[in-house]
Amino acid sequence: MEDFEFLRNITIGQYLPGDSIFYKLDPRAKLLAFFFIVAAVTFTSSYLGNVILLATVLVLAAISTIPLGYMLRGIKPALPMIIVLAIMQLLFLGDFYVPPTGIRTLFKWGFIHITTGSVQLVIVSTLRFFDLLILVSLLTFTTTTTELTHGLESLMSPLARFGFPAHELSLVLTTALRFVPILALELETIMKAQASRGANFGTGGRLRFIQQARQVLPILIPLFIDALRRAEDLILAMEARCYVGGKGRTHLIQFRSSLRDYLTVVFSIVYAIFMLTYKFPF
Amino acid sequence: MWHIYLRDTPLEVVALRGVDMEVYKGEAVGIIGHTGAGKSTLVQHLNGLLRPHKGKVIIDGVDLSQEGVDIRAIRQKVGLVSQYPERQLFKDYVADDIAFGPQQFGLPPEEVRERVKWAMEMVGLDFERFKDRYTFSLSGGEMRRAAIAGVLALRPKILILDESTSGLDPRGRSDLLRRIKELHEKEGLTIIFVSPNMEDMAELVDRIYILADGQVVMSGTPREIFSQPEELYRLGLGIPQVTEVMHALRARGKNVRVDVLTVVEAEAEVCKLLNC
Repeated sequence: MEDFEFLRNITIGQYLPGDSIFYKLDPRAKLLAFFFIVAAVTFTSSYLGNVILLATVLVLAAISTIPLGYMLRGIKPALPMIIVLAIMQLLFLGDFYVPPTGIRTLFKWGFIHITTGSVQLVIVSTLRFFDLLILVSLLTFTTTTTELTHGLESLMSPLARFGFPAHELSLVLTTALRFVPILALELETIMKAQASRGANFGTGGRLRFIQQARQVLPILIPLFIDALRRAEDLILAMEARCYVGGKGRTHLIQFRSSLRDYLTVVFSIVYAIFMLTYKFPF
Repeated sequence: MWHIYLRDTPLEVVALRGVDMEVYKGEAVGIIGHTGAGKSTLVQHLNGLLRPHKGKVIIDGVDLSQEGVDIRAIRQKVGLVSQYPERQLFKDYVADDIAFGPQQFGLPPEEVRERVKWAMEMVGLDFERFKDRYTFSLSGGEMRRAAIAGVLALRPKILILDESTSGLDPRGRSDLLRRIKELHEKEGLTIIFVSPNMEDMAELVDRIYILADGQVVMSGTPREIFSQPEELYRLGLGIPQVTEVMHALRARGKNVRVDVLTVVEAEAEVCKLLNC
């Protein structure tokens, strides 16, 4: 735990200015397309399907001119979890998934049951992580938080008629997203301060859970307090600017959809339907 | 004796460019610069929080980049008080929080108690009155002092204070500076004091380094530095108010010393003029 630079690895929630086509799309189109493509990614379990998805996602990433390496940085903190999950899936979920080519047991011993099914599951799950990470990054790198809130709200507003808190929900979501990098920076500051006065991170052994949990307190408590303090400041700032809730609010920037946006949404719907209904041979 | 040479290149921003710095045992050294000049980056190298991408950090003859260096021992020797240190408080009771550091180093309870007592005394928090107070019931200034005590409890030989006076009211500031001076003079700690504030520097330190855009642009004793006001103004920095007054008097033809740093010295000079 010697490296304190967390901001390098938290890529979610950051906005990078640029001018690729993604920046010119209507946020609502991006959100809808995102939703449909994510649906396609989540429910495709075949190898061929996932190869197509990966290729699609990589092409999108290439179009965006954002370096792939930077997007993939976001996976670093989650890597241990992903690996543990993968191993568990491989060993214990042998019966869970039946591939189109039929299921075959590769190894069985007690609870451990590795089949072609579980191997496929693991590979597909890992690919899914990458796909989702890149898609989320593409969305958040090219869309400012204001655009995201506005877009979400706009899409959900038909539901507001039924009492659905569209405005509040989108505000909560985008504030959370916006604060991820801010809190990452704060976490870094706190860890440095505690390390400077003798706090010990990373030692205590893998199995000393209680000790490791205790080591987290000098970080967790100040972080919580900081987050709460920022929330209070945010509320004050919003109220000082006459924010009284979502009712009747209008926007300075109006969305104007163009053909390009409609095409994007239509394309993503067609793509998703294809990926979800076509029976891939393997 | 120390010898420090650093260069640092964090994420796409060159924070320090070829910075050379030396601090000798028992000295008080000041680092001045604007926000973003690289001051915090610089001092975070001194206790191993950051590693230079080029160059070396040598503390008491030990090169921090060597294999097998006990970084925690370095952090005990070099106590860094971060900016807004009250943010590091997390324990329910004040004394517990201050005791955190020594406890992490495995010191026996009696020793820990002694250290907490001493640290609290040094920052002006009466041991009996404050030890059982809830940490978060303290005032801002008291919390800051408690946080500083938390670092002092490690009994560092070198104390680095990163903008420790920011956000304090004038009385709190002068109180803190007085105590830092005491730590330097009576307890013999080597002090590195980072601040954008000129007045603080003039009173406290033996030598100053001025940082701008990641480079050392000026260095010397306070009198040397503050006798070059045009250079400082060019850098967007100022000089202590009393020094400014002296320069203004000199500009009007009055024969006064300009290397004046404190109000007391200024008074003496002005008195010479007025024959009082």
